[in-house]
Amino acid sequence: MKRLSSRLLVTLATLLSLGSAPASAEELDLFAWSEYVPQPVLDAFTRETGIRVNYESYASNEEMLAKLLSGTASYDLIQPSEYTVEALVKEGLLLPLDHAQLPNLKNVGAEYWGLPHDPKLAYSVPYMQGTVGIVVNVQKIAEPISGYADVFQTKYARRIVVVDDALEIVTFALATLGLGPDAVTKENLEKVRPILARWLPLVRVYDSDSPKTPLLNGDVDLGIVWSGEAARLMQEQPGRFAYVLPREGAHMFIDSLSIPKGADDARAAHRFIDYVLRPEVGRMISAEFPYTNPNLEARKLLGDAERANPASYPPGNPKLATLRDIGALAIEVDKLFTDSKAASGP
Amino acid sequence: MLDEATSSGAAGAGQRPPGRAAWLLLAPVIAWTAAFVVAPAAIMLAYSFAKRGTLGGVVLGFTLESYAAALDPVYLQIAVRSIAYAALTTGLCLCAGYPVAYVIGRAAPQRRNLLLMAVMVPFWTSFLIRTYAWVTILKSEGVLNSLLVQLHLIAEPLEMLYTPGAVVLGLVYTFLPFMILPIYASVEKLDGSLVEAALDLGAGPLRVFWRVILPLTGPGIGAGVLLVFVPSLGLYAVNDILGGGRVDMIGNVIENQFKGNARNWPFGAALGTLLLVGFAAVYGFVNQRQRAASARPLRA
Repeated sequence: MKRLSSRLLVTLATLLSLGSAPASAEELDLFAWSEYVPQPVLDAFTRETGIRVNYESYASNEEMLAKLLSGTASYDLIQPSEYTVEALVKEGLLLPLDHAQLPNLKNVGAEYWGLPHDPKLAYSVPYMQGTVGIVVNVQKIAEPISGYADVFQTKYARRIVVVDDALEIVTFALATLGLGPDAVTKENLEKVRPILARWLPLVRVYDSDSPKTPLLNGDVDLGIVWSGEAARLMQEQPGRFAYVLPREGAHMFIDSLSIPKGADDARAAHRFIDYVLRPEVGRMISAEFPYTNPNLEARKLLGDAERANPASYPPGNPKLATLRDIGALAIEVDKLFTDSKAASGP
Repeated sequence: MLDEATSSGAAGAGQRPPGRAAWLLLAPVIAWTAAFVVAPAAIMLAYSFAKRGTLGGVVLGFTLESYAAALDPVYLQIAVRSIAYAALTTGLCLCAGYPVAYVIGRAAPQRRNLLLMAVMVPFWTSFLIRTYAWVTILKSEGVLNSLLVQLHLIAEPLEMLYTPGAVVLGLVYTFLPFMILPIYASVEKLDGSLVEAALDLGAGPLRVFWRVILPLTGPGIGAGVLLVFVPSLGLYAVNDILGGGRVDMIGNVIENQFKGNARNWPFGAALGTLLLVGFAAVYGFVNQRQRAASARPLRA
């Protein structure tokens, strides 16, 4: 569905940009994940500042990089995940942020400072955070499921959905070996190989765009999905689904706003970032996309049910690791996943 | 294309070579082809010999690394699977499309237009939306399963979605019109008196079909086969949406090099180049068979 709606959004954005405001008006080119920035948030920003926002969307960090590096379009704001922020900073492709223009940065929780990809938030401001965890249809599955090893059992063959992401799946397998997501090495990948050989034949659907769909449709009964997808399932059909962080070890992802080098309007980009950091704006985003809001002031405005949703706000607020940029090892990860999928197919 | 033009020019004896005006008229097409067919293919070729850039993209140079990596048996296995799916899709489209095209081609002119319109109507809706519609039909709590359960034909919902069968169904559904339209075009041109003559001379209906109708509609079949086989080999969206992405098609592998973790553009370009060479080979093969067939005297 994301594929669809991203296209619709682009079309819509194009139509809007044709129809409104004189050409002299200030513009902000926002390149962000599909289904991640609510339209009312953009509209309100334009009403307040007169700056028109062109929202172009992508479905993976790599897709964003491809367009960014092609140089065919220039963007004022991008929304990379933490491992991509790390890679972009390494290559010197992000503009340092001017914290003086971001008074609302104080709303970002302390746990989002000091992380390895950008410890001082010098290049990136957390937009939304999420986890990757297990969602279970409790009406169909009675046994308790609390870890990756519980999901990938032969009795659940062809009842499982996982995100279609080689690196993610490799980190699941690493976790069952007691290794963190930063332990991607050639040797460890060989240890992962036999695990994937056992796991992948049990999977019915790989879907990163909308893994909630096969769960909602009843085609599968459990899965490993983005927390926001799980939170929406639990909102839409209370009592049918449960979400747990895998006991072997979970990790989180942080999607941030960053300004790429070559941005036309860094000042407008700063204004947008600070606007998003306002508590009431953060609240609007959470209402539509129930990931974990890194904005503590916005969290205070959430309803009790939203705050109690364990997919959005895991009980106990566990400390979670993040993925790291793995450089050229990504080629090995891709090859391992391709091999394992090819060997597991129907 | 030029090759085809010259060869047909040679066949039609006495035709003048194209003058300056003809080239002028052709110029936009040639420019278009150069800009959107030749140039991208050349870029792809250049990328396939380059080195991987850190964040994606390429560092231009000359290395055969990507082609060496493409020789790994797993990619051959995936290519064979993709070809098998495409071949099955083409075969089913031919079996289902030929009778339809024949009926439309032989129908009265007013009805013909109506029927042709019916074949085209699906194109008014986005391909992706139509494919997602199949999810609604095939899912375990979907339209088809509910219907079958209601009619007591099955007790439990069948597992239809996210299977190889669903992928082939989706491909056949997507490409059927591309088979029907070219066959229709040759059925429409089919000279009915030849069929009558064959019947008069004592051939049975089956024999008339095999020896007269089928050879005369051969060009349409050839075009239909190409129009279905080539794109269905590269289309991976159906595999993702209706197949659940459980196995990779060659298109998925290429996509992953650009939009997945690997960010290995040279490798994606090398696979793309190999696929292009494969397409050219298939095209050349079908084209040659057709020429051989049309060169053969009818009595052969």
